[in-house]
Amino acid sequence: MNPEPLILTFKLASLTTLILFGVALPIAYWLAYSKFRGRVLVEAVIGMPLVLPPSVLGFYLLLAFSPSYAFGGWIEEVLGLRLVFSFPGLVVASVIYSLPFMVYPLQAGLQALPPSLREASYTLGKSAWTTFFKVLLPNCKSAILTALVLTFAHTVGEFGVVLMIGGNIPGVTKVASVAIYNEVEALNYPAANQYALVLFVITFAILLLVYLLNHRLRVRYSA
Amino acid sequence: MGKPIVRITVVIFFMVGLICCSKPNDKVVVATAANVQFVMQELQKTFERESGTKLDIVVSSSGKLTTQIQQGAPFDVFVSADTRYPQEIFVNGGADNPPKIYARGTLVLWTRDSTITPDLTMLTQAGVKKIALANPETAPYGRAAVEVLKEAGLFEQVNSKLVFGESIAQTTQYIATGAADVGFTALSVVLSHEMKGKGRWTALDSTAYAHIDQAAILLKHSESSPKREKSQQFYDFLYSEKARAIFQQYGYSVE
Repeated sequence: MNPEPLILTFKLASLTTLILFGVALPIAYWLAYSKFRGRVLVEAVIGMPLVLPPSVLGFYLLLAFSPSYAFGGWIEEVLGLRLVFSFPGLVVASVIYSLPFMVYPLQAGLQALPPSLREASYTLGKSAWTTFFKVLLPNCKSAILTALVLTFAHTVGEFGVVLMIGGNIPGVTKVASVAIYNEVEALNYPAANQYALVLFVITFAILLLVYLLNHRLRVRYSA
Repeated sequence: MGKPIVRITVVIFFMVGLICCSKPNDKVVVATAANVQFVMQELQKTFERESGTKLDIVVSSSGKLTTQIQQGAPFDVFVSADTRYPQEIFVNGGADNPPKIYARGTLVLWTRDSTITPDLTMLTQAGVKKIALANPETAPYGRAAVEVLKEAGLFEQVNSKLVFGESIAQTTQYIATGAADVGFTALSVVLSHEMKGKGRWTALDSTAYAHIDQAAILLKHSESSPKREKSQQFYDFLYSEKARAIFQQYGYSVE
């Protein structure tokens, strides 16, 4: 078995999780505390990757990233970068694809905190910034962990989008899920099985670890 | 009907009833390789008009269809893009008779970019960033494309530009949307109604790659199967003079 597709999968998942954490924090904060009426609309848009078939997302991204269309042409012109068939393209796609998996748990975690927590911090003269990082976030460790893991696992499980825009390039866009697909296509069931088993075991171990940690966090707080 | 559990039970029974009483599919189901889908529309029209038998066309890559057939998918005839996959099915007992070649495919180099001439020598130029071909491990047109590149001594030079579609259909998508600057596809694709007159293409020297012989196979039916006769009828039609003329019109050569 060639480990390359597996390494690529975990590289993609790690990068996506890292980027999304930075992207999702302000969004989750805004969704949790904003009084803005149109908030629901934003929430619905963020949730779209949950319900859209990955092929829809993949198809639109293929058109968006293609140099023959406005956005892709502009990027190629200005940055000399073609996102379709490239690893950075997969990262961009995964960030969109896994967005709700990062935003929703964080938002729920923040909303579950008692309002008095924020108010007390403000009363003691702390800025919103300090309050967020020193008071609010440390109190939703469990939600953060859930968000990180769900995003990571969801990206590991990504298939349709990658198949549409990846181009199956070994070492660049050929992630494990696509490698499995290829092996099945070539009637190499044993090889497909090896990849599948590794993915199965690793993802299960990750999830198990998280539930254990989450359980311990909860026990500690309720004590 | 007051209790919800009673209501749910009634609904479930009703649904099960619906599922059980739905009519079995009496259409002949034809599993069709991606490159054959355009000519298949034409063949379907002609066959349905002449025989009165309706067809259901299922389009996918030959590899996927083969996997599905081996797992018991309810297909009647398999029209493959190569000879290897139907042979595999025959060897494993999925058919009574060996596959027969119905047509030979032609490989073309195609581009939608007006600044690029579809020519092998152009592939090394800086303006060509991505070259699409079908996965050579599973798709015969992909294998042929690699052979052509190696024959021309270009394979090493352009290797880093290659992107792989999972079938000729996806490869076509990459070229048609301009995501890839240029690519290798089937002549049947560029002659199809959907793609006719879009971009420019060149047929490649057919001596530079092994023949893309495409075979079909009549899948096993039980003696009592109501579709046995109709499936045989369609299978025979594939090799008739009429069908051969249609294949030729769509860019295939027939013996």
